Amino acid sequence: MDNLRDLEPHIICLGSHPGIIQSMLDYHYCLGQEKSPVEAIVGTNRKQERYFWGHHEIVIPVYRDLTAVPVHLRSKANVMLLVQSARRVLSGMQAASDALPNLALVNIFAEQVPEAHALLIGSLAREHKVLVAGPASVGLLLPGSLKLGAIGGTEYPQLVSAGIFAPGNTAVVSTSGGMVNELIHVVTRSGSGISFALALGGDRYPITDPAEAMLLAQADKQTERIVYFGELGGEDEYRIAELLKDGSVSKPVIAYIAGSVAELFPEPPQFGHAKAMASSQSETAAAKKAVLREAGAQVVDVFKDIGSLLGDNTSSVESQSHRPIQARRRRLIMSRLSGETNGEVQLLGKDLLATVNESSIASLYLSLLLGMTVDQPKIVAFTDYILRLLVDHGPYVSGAVNTAIAARAGKDLPSSLAAGLLTIGPRFGGAVNAAAAAWLSGVDNGTSAKSFVSSFTAQGGIIPGIGHKKYRIDVPDPRVTAIVDNFAGNTNNDRYLHFGRQVETVTTAKKGNLILNVDGAIAAVMLDLLESELGYTPEQLQELVDIEFFNALFIASRSVGLMAHYLDQRRHDEGLFRLSEEDVSYIP
Amino acid sequence: MPRQKLSEFRAKTIIYGALGLPYRGWSIDTSADLKLQLKAVHERTSHVVVKVDEGVKRRFKQGLVLLDVAPADVEEAVHKLQSRGYRWLIVEPMWEYAKTEERYFSLALERGGWLCRYSQSGGVDIESAASQVKSMLLRPGEDPKEVASATGFSQAQIVALEAVCADNAFAFLELNPYIVAANSVQLLDAAVEVDDTAAFFVDDWQFDDLRFHVGHQLTPQEKLIQELDATSPASLKLNVLNPEGSIFLLLSGGGASVVVADEIYNQGYGPQLANYGEYSGNPNSEETYLYTKAVLELLINSPAKQKVLFIGGAVANFTDIAKTFAGVLRAIDEVAGKLKTQQVKVFVRRGGPHQEEGLRAMETMLEKHELLGAVHSPDTPLTEAVDEALKEIAHG
Repeated sequence: MDNLRDLEPHIICLGSHPGIIQSMLDYHYCLGQEKSPVEAIVGTNRKQERYFWGHHEIVIPVYRDLTAVPVHLRSKANVMLLVQSARRVLSGMQAASDALPNLALVNIFAEQVPEAHALLIGSLAREHKVLVAGPASVGLLLPGSLKLGAIGGTEYPQLVSAGIFAPGNTAVVSTSGGMVNELIHVVTRSGSGISFALALGGDRYPITDPAEAMLLAQADKQTERIVYFGELGGEDEYRIAELLKDGSVSKPVIAYIAGSVAELFPEPPQFGHAKAMASSQSETAAAKKAVLREAGAQVVDVFKDIGSLLGDNTSSVESQSHRPIQARRRRLIMSRLSGETNGEVQLLGKDLLATVNESSIASLYLSLLLGMTVDQPKIVAFTDYILRLLVDHGPYVSGAVNTAIAARAGKDLPSSLAAGLLTIGPRFGGAVNAAAAAWLSGVDNGTSAKSFVSSFTAQGGIIPGIGHKKYRIDVPDPRVTAIVDNFAGNTNNDRYLHFGRQVETVTTAKKGNLILNVDGAIAAVMLDLLESELGYTPEQLQELVDIEFFNALFIASRSVGLMAHYLDQRRHDEGLFRLSEEDVSYIP
Repeated sequence: MPRQKLSEFRAKTIIYGALGLPYRGWSIDTSADLKLQLKAVHERTSHVVVKVDEGVKRRFKQGLVLLDVAPADVEEAVHKLQSRGYRWLIVEPMWEYAKTEERYFSLALERGGWLCRYSQSGGVDIESAASQVKSMLLRPGEDPKEVASATGFSQAQIVALEAVCADNAFAFLELNPYIVAANSVQLLDAAVEVDDTAAFFVDDWQFDDLRFHVGHQLTPQEKLIQELDATSPASLKLNVLNPEGSIFLLLSGGGASVVVADEIYNQGYGPQLANYGEYSGNPNSEETYLYTKAVLELLINSPAKQKVLFIGGAVANFTDIAKTFAGVLRAIDEVAGKLKTQQVKVFVRRGGPHQEEGLRAMETMLEKHELLGAVHSPDTPLTEAVDEALKEIAHG
């Protein structure tokens, strides 16, 4: 326990249980620690989860699985809260022992973990020297240092009333989660403090069994005496008796073994905990009490006698002062971009005017769209270039036509703009985002350009970012040439652009106009710049594709063009647009 | 809850399969059409054994095994056992052998491997011949040479038994007795306990193959809670001890509930204890409502003169007191008139998240209906609150 007490905890949660996680954060906040010990949550379908650190909200990142957790976090992680369902506990522990080299402590919360799985986890834990509380455990509490799990309560008032902010001399070891908390109260009310409290869990094969817990208490410098809660079923207490007899455990043990009431039942009853069933005489509460008593433990028959045996130590009580938590309220909306503090508007973490004064329009657009301040000149220059490049493509294209028709129908500016914007999708304007998705998947999967192309043609699809009506391989699109000349040559060896070019080589061998078009070039170069200049990982780039960042660039620019077409039409004031009979091929 | 008895029929089907031996036996569900089920048995010419297959211990001594039944008399034998309240039976061929041929064999899941216990003298009196039972821990990958030569199984069969136990989440397997003949083995009685938490990972048995024998017919309330428990992530347990008892319990937490029941038993009130049970793992208020309703039905039906209801538990870690109590309150409220007429007193002691809100609502409601014994927060030690409730009985 001493080593765990000295540990600076870096906690990974496998699965999420907001009540328990928040209570762990609250406890550590109350201790006056500077930052949240919970580093990451793994295996839920969210990207992040919001919690309070004291009175402020923080976000904890969520990862798909343990391998997706960044390496620096994985090597730092030394404590794990495992709150996934019983079926997933074994695989979760196996994944953790592979992914987390410095893991020292785990709490397994789920009930109903198969016994055979618990035995396998036991071998795994011994091999990797990990202390495991559970399965079916509310965790481990080291007052003043660490709260792992629900132990001690999940609400701030519970933490305060339990008296667990400063350490004391009494260890509590219990097979029951409710009773570990009850005993914490019994001990702290007697005026003693808790050295540690460990919920072993009520399963038949707890990973850390009662005898091992006794040895931990014996070895712990802070612990002077042990309060043990056990129950009928299993024969773990016989090993405790051996340890007491041979002197391996010499600190005083006060024990309560629940389950005498089983004698009332015609057949051995199964109580609430999995282990709590005595199928032979040796597993009854009476037999185990007798053997512990004989070995020198102070065994009480009546629960309240634990209090009397602990005595009144209120004079030696340690201060339980802590950093308090007042009422707080969850915010409805979260924003990284802008907000008000004391009525002053801030943009990207700085005063609005300061940000505006320092930024070009391109850097401001890019910063807002990426959700962080970006001032690297090359990517800002590229953004500036594409904002200009995409602003208009003539009155012929679908978006502009729709805006013009709406304008001529007498609709207002926002409606006409919306009519044009609503046209943007898979066939019009959406090509940059689609091309980014294509290059990203091609490069990530290590696909050859040839099989990449054939997988598209097999589905009868066209490849986004490829093909032009007018330009051909021998008559290149001057816009593509300009983009490549000015913005290629990035530190990632232009791997996305390179892939786009390889695809172009395959497609133009078939047909000369299947060239890398301007959408495909913008997507590829933007991916290269995000990776080289801003250090985006493929996962982060994928997220940008998923949330349509590349479409946002197009829309930011083209909105100006569409508004221009609206204003142009209004100036002409031509009246309602209508197709004539000659324009429609009627096929009855 | 984890260790459950597997039907003998299913157990033998699996074990004979593992041993590479044919199994001849019929499972009979007396609640279904018997004619169809017994057709194959009637076609036999040799005698059979008819046994109860509900995980009952010491069947033979209780007369739940009918030996040497002629095929024509099978139906009568089935009715005889059915009339004693049993639904599931097993019919098997009758084997002739000398009592001295009966052997004992068991495997139990332990830390480190399978604990194998075996004896050359098995049978119904195994407990009195316990000194002759040898035991040995079979570690994974070790040759079970010694066990094989002493039990009459081949080494390969022992290994196959270990494997079948692991694959089917058996926690305990007992063959008693079995007989070893020249080229085969006959398992006369087999008992298996499975770890039902592993049901998801097992193919060869299902929930329907489990047998829940509690020593008495389940009351409708116990049945209801069993079904509720099976479909909830929370844990809900209810056992009726004495339908005419005067102390009724509505407890939370696997550990605390036993402590409360112990206290009542230790104080000498065991005979008056009507039920044991617990809910835990943060059930929702609909579940606590149904649970409370079941306990209150038992309470109202009891003819005892002076009745108390004790609602309690330890200091919960994460079970929400206000939420779980909301269901309890609703159920009490519905039958408050009856409870008042019967002069029932309710005692409460509970702590945990949102305890103040929950306890306050409870006190207000009990006071309104004149049912209030006392409501305590964790400031009152758990068992002290129990003692206070017991005084009500003593004075009554």
